[in-house]
Amino acid sequence: MMRSDGRRRLRYWRSLAEYHGLPPTEEERVAEAAHGAAGPPEFPGDGVSRRRFLGLLGASAALAAGASCSRAERGTIVPYTKRPPEVVPGVANHYASTFQEGTSAFGVLVKVREGRPIHIEGNDEHPEFAGKTHLRAIADLLRLYDPDRLRRPLLYGKPATWAEADGRIVPLLRAAAASRGPVLLVTGAVVSPTRMAVLEDLRRVLPGLRHVAVEPLAGPGSRDAAVACFGEALTPRLRFDRADVILALESDFLGSDGQAPIAIREFVSRRRVEGRGDSMSRLWVLEAGMSVTGTNADHRLPVRPSASAAVAFALARALHEEHGIALPAGLSKEVLSAFGLDAIAGRVNAPRALLDALAADLAKAGRAALVVAGPSLPAEAHVASSLLNVMLGAEGHTVDAAAACRPAAGPATAEDLAAALREAKAGGVAAAIFWGVNPAYWLPDAALFKSAIARAPARIFIGLDRDETAEDCPIVLPEHHWLESWGDYETSEDLLSLEQPAIGPLYDTRQGEEILLGWAKALGAVVPAGYREYLKARWRREVYSAASPVPFESFWSAALHDGVLRRPAAPASPRAIRIAAVETAASAAAVEHAAPGMGLTLLLHPAVTVYDGRYANNGWLQELPDPVTTVTWGNPARLSPADARRLGLEDGDVVRLEARGRSLEVPLLVQPGQAEGTVSLALGYGRSTGSVATGVGVDAWPLMGTGSDAAGSPFLAAARLTSAGTRAETATAQMHRSMEGRDIVRSLTLARYAKAGFEQEKREPATLFPAQEFPEHKWGMAIDLTACVGCGGCVVACQSENNVAVVGPEQVRRGRAMHWMRIDRYFDGSPDNPRVVHQPMLCQQCDSAPCETVCPVNATTHSPDGLNQMAYNRCVGTRYCANNCPYKVRRFNFLEYTAAKTEPESLVFNPEVTVRPRGVMEKCTFCVQRIDDVRQRAKGEGRAVRDGEIVPACAAACPATAIVFGDLKDPTSEVSRLAASDRGYRVLEELGVKPSVTYLARLTNPAKGGDGHEG
Amino acid sequence: MHPYDRFVRIVLPVGATCLLLTVTAVGWIAQPDRLARGYAPEQPIPYSHALHAGTLKIPCLYCHAGADRSRHAGIPAVETCMNCHRVTKTDSPAIRKLTDVYDSGRPLEWARVHTLPDYVYFDHRPHVNAGIACQTCHGEVQTMTVVSRRMSMRMGNCLGCHRDPRAALPSGSKILRGPEHCNACHR
Repeated sequence: MMRSDGRRRLRYWRSLAEYHGLPPTEEERVAEAAHGAAGPPEFPGDGVSRRRFLGLLGASAALAAGASCSRAERGTIVPYTKRPPEVVPGVANHYASTFQEGTSAFGVLVKVREGRPIHIEGNDEHPEFAGKTHLRAIADLLRLYDPDRLRRPLLYGKPATWAEADGRIVPLLRAAAASRGPVLLVTGAVVSPTRMAVLEDLRRVLPGLRHVAVEPLAGPGSRDAAVACFGEALTPRLRFDRADVILALESDFLGSDGQAPIAIREFVSRRRVEGRGDSMSRLWVLEAGMSVTGTNADHRLPVRPSASAAVAFALARALHEEHGIALPAGLSKEVLSAFGLDAIAGRVNAPRALLDALAADLAKAGRAALVVAGPSLPAEAHVASSLLNVMLGAEGHTVDAAAACRPAAGPATAEDLAAALREAKAGGVAAAIFWGVNPAYWLPDAALFKSAIARAPARIFIGLDRDETAEDCPIVLPEHHWLESWGDYETSEDLLSLEQPAIGPLYDTRQGEEILLGWAKALGAVVPAGYREYLKARWRREVYSAASPVPFESFWSAALHDGVLRRPAAPASPRAIRIAAVETAASAAAVEHAAPGMGLTLLLHPAVTVYDGRYANNGWLQELPDPVTTVTWGNPARLSPADARRLGLEDGDVVRLEARGRSLEVPLLVQPGQAEGTVSLALGYGRSTGSVATGVGVDAWPLMGTGSDAAGSPFLAAARLTSAGTRAETATAQMHRSMEGRDIVRSLTLARYAKAGFEQEKREPATLFPAQEFPEHKWGMAIDLTACVGCGGCVVACQSENNVAVVGPEQVRRGRAMHWMRIDRYFDGSPDNPRVVHQPMLCQQCDSAPCETVCPVNATTHSPDGLNQMAYNRCVGTRYCANNCPYKVRRFNFLEYTAAKTEPESLVFNPEVTVRPRGVMEKCTFCVQRIDDVRQRAKGEGRAVRDGEIVPACAAACPATAIVFGDLKDPTSEVSRLAASDRGYRVLEELGVKPSVTYLARLTNPAKGGDGHEG
Repeated sequence: MHPYDRFVRIVLPVGATCLLLTVTAVGWIAQPDRLARGYAPEQPIPYSHALHAGTLKIPCLYCHAGADRSRHAGIPAVETCMNCHRVTKTDSPAIRKLTDVYDSGRPLEWARVHTLPDYVYFDHRPHVNAGIACQTCHGEVQTMTVVSRRMSMRMGNCLGCHRDPRAALPSGSKILRGPEHCNACHR
């Protein structure tokens, strides 16, 4: 498509059908929405008979009449008997705490209303998170109020008291302690020094304790490589803010990785362009499946994971031979002789010139380069990437081992646990204790799990809900949610985070550590009974310096207030790489390189949303569209368009996937950008317990391998794909809300921007509407598409803040997802390796809003501060407004999604936002409750609202700070400055609706000559 | 008499009158204003605003401390009563009951007098901070032994004052109008 000025207009597409120009089906054309979207509201289940309908009608009429005529009983008001001094009813309190996942710990601020946590944001005092946090931390609030949570101990499936449970457990442990019999304790990775101290205390009185701190997603490749290269299994802290050139090998550091929020913040800090002279970092991605990181690449090459190591070694050779970068002392260049860029270019199907450009880029960046290998790659790829980092001098600069996370225990891999279980099976165990882990679900060899613990006299489960592992344990002990718990986390030597309860325990549960302390006490250890006392005592002993002039109590309350304690950090220093490790890895890679396997490779990866499956019972996360596939509620297998053509498969076909002698049936998704010869499948689905999780998606864990099998990594396997002959509908948000191919997203390269700026046609048409007056404020937003990586954190934060309903897969399929904010994903270029743009889309709060003019009952009108306001009690549900909205951001409550919710689920609702009932329209309000609150506070203090003081939930959550909110009437505000940017444009401004949201065109930074379309 | 004649002369007028009466009666019985005003439920403690706010002149904000800093004015915690009643009137049966509640930590359930329609997010802060007297909406509370409702608190009450707030505002106030857009109260 040519524009009037002769430049090629980017051609964006959202699905393969659209790319190939297939005409929309009759239904799509007429409805512009998914099948059934416009259908009448239906009732779940068997439907409603005429008789039942009339019955309901009569009953509701009687109820309505009764309610309107009664003057008594307006309810009661129950004030505090003794009000905690910090609580003012109606005013939220914020508490700093920490959310832990695997070896990551996220500093968070918990928003508490009248003792009830209702929202989670990042801790702004935290040096690494700087007010941002992970979307899973935001969403895990829902688990606190999950009705599936255990409420009291269970003995053989029957409710019991703690005394009864202890009465059964303690004699068994006493016997084990006396006989020094083995006791198997399985936990997640321990990054809490005080939790570790509890475990040590328990070990002192229970000498047979064998502790396995296992993380099922821990990759043996990175650990083995770290041990081989540097002699220590640690994961260095990667400093993306120091990197000019980043090469990601199968690494999704912006997506599923545990450190993603930090990585996004630091990565984007080098991508922010204020004016035409600014520079950007460059991201090269070599990966098989399209990941969030891949969608943000300046150059992306779809390559099979088995080629990664060879590419990295070939780059090392090119750096040495062509750019004169020295090999580490002692490494002979013969070791790398098997790897040539020519051969590699042929193998990964990329022009040689491009790989030369990559090598030149890395050489030029020197110590400001950063090579990252993903956890799914085998050890040799990790060794190769470490070699590159050492050669470039990145080691000690962008790769900071001094600030590495050194977990107190773990993370052991699933294979390590399997070994421990085999040992237990052979030798017998006195007790098996599972604390916060679910090996019965994720251990590939489920039979081993069952048989290993079958004969243990005590099988004890400590956890939040009755998951697969709890089903196998006769003694089930409920623990506190992290929002009810105390704790501390040491993610690096210089950083200690504190966890404090934001709510008293909801049920008859105990903190995990306290359960263990209770046992230790019963076995004769001298320990405080409460974990809070234990934690405080340990901090007084180990963390607090006795020489400090500050009394301990003040030190402790300050640490609790901040939620984080910084200690002096060791400076980053380069590590020397062991030559033998490089030689071994190079010879391993050379064998594969010489005779690459040609079949289909299966690549298993964690889901960005449900991770390893621990969040599968979370409706917010299940309904959050995957940033790349936009699929909700499931995990289709992803295959490249070329392979799909070759195998005669298409979107929605159910395929039989065979790997490692096991097989499963899974729906197929043809994924543009997927490397040929690979199939990707997300882990974490197909759970068999939990009222939300059960039956959603397919359990891929049985296909996981051990570290020692042929593929070299448990995440990779040779696979076979055949059609199962049936079809399945995935709940994808992809083809909904079509924008009819207009110029919605705009992007250009940094080079062109620097040379010519961003020329745009002014397309605002003349209007017959009178100009709007905004006497005081005019709220507006600016969204930088260069900064947005598409993670989805804003969507979850919005859902939590605004009581947005979860509707389930069936409703999503009909296009009835209720998200006020969504992230649209557009492809650009060839389906074999397209570029991707993410665009957050929310109500644009148009000045001349088309929705307002069509509402027959004036339920949606314009406010004097520029908001398109929605009065739910006026709405009668005609849906005219949604029909007339060019952005398709209005959401209709087809069913009673939320209003019927009862405790504990209803406790999560934000009391400042209406819970919308069936039959009304809703949409983004720019978080009007936050605007109001700040305005009233400012008014009370007799001052004007400060710029940046009002932060909507989406902007607060965005780790990239891509969203800026403020007053467009104030010319000095940040949002006014951005709205006036030469990259700024308003979506569909040619319609004359005058949106209040400005998008900043996306900039990419491909190397000279390239345009990012390689492969 | 012709059967049609009877219909026109008797059945139709009687029927129409009955219908009219029914509609009027139901409408009158169910009118929210009539139901709301004068509502004075019995409270668990016979607390007298006439004594505390009237005779003793305790400021409203001493007990309803949230009114100038929160959306909700708030009902005082039992603790607030005990600030005085630990030493005052300790032998009265009501205070003994109050002390009992306080010592046991049991919640005290007051009957709600003032309610707002659904979907309304009334904020006390701007009203109190603008100097509007509590009595404007809540009536002469300082004269009430048992609090009763004086205003129905329907949208008409809000808009009436927002359009012409002079009567409610202290003299010298610069405020000419209150906001009238939906988001001012609804969200």
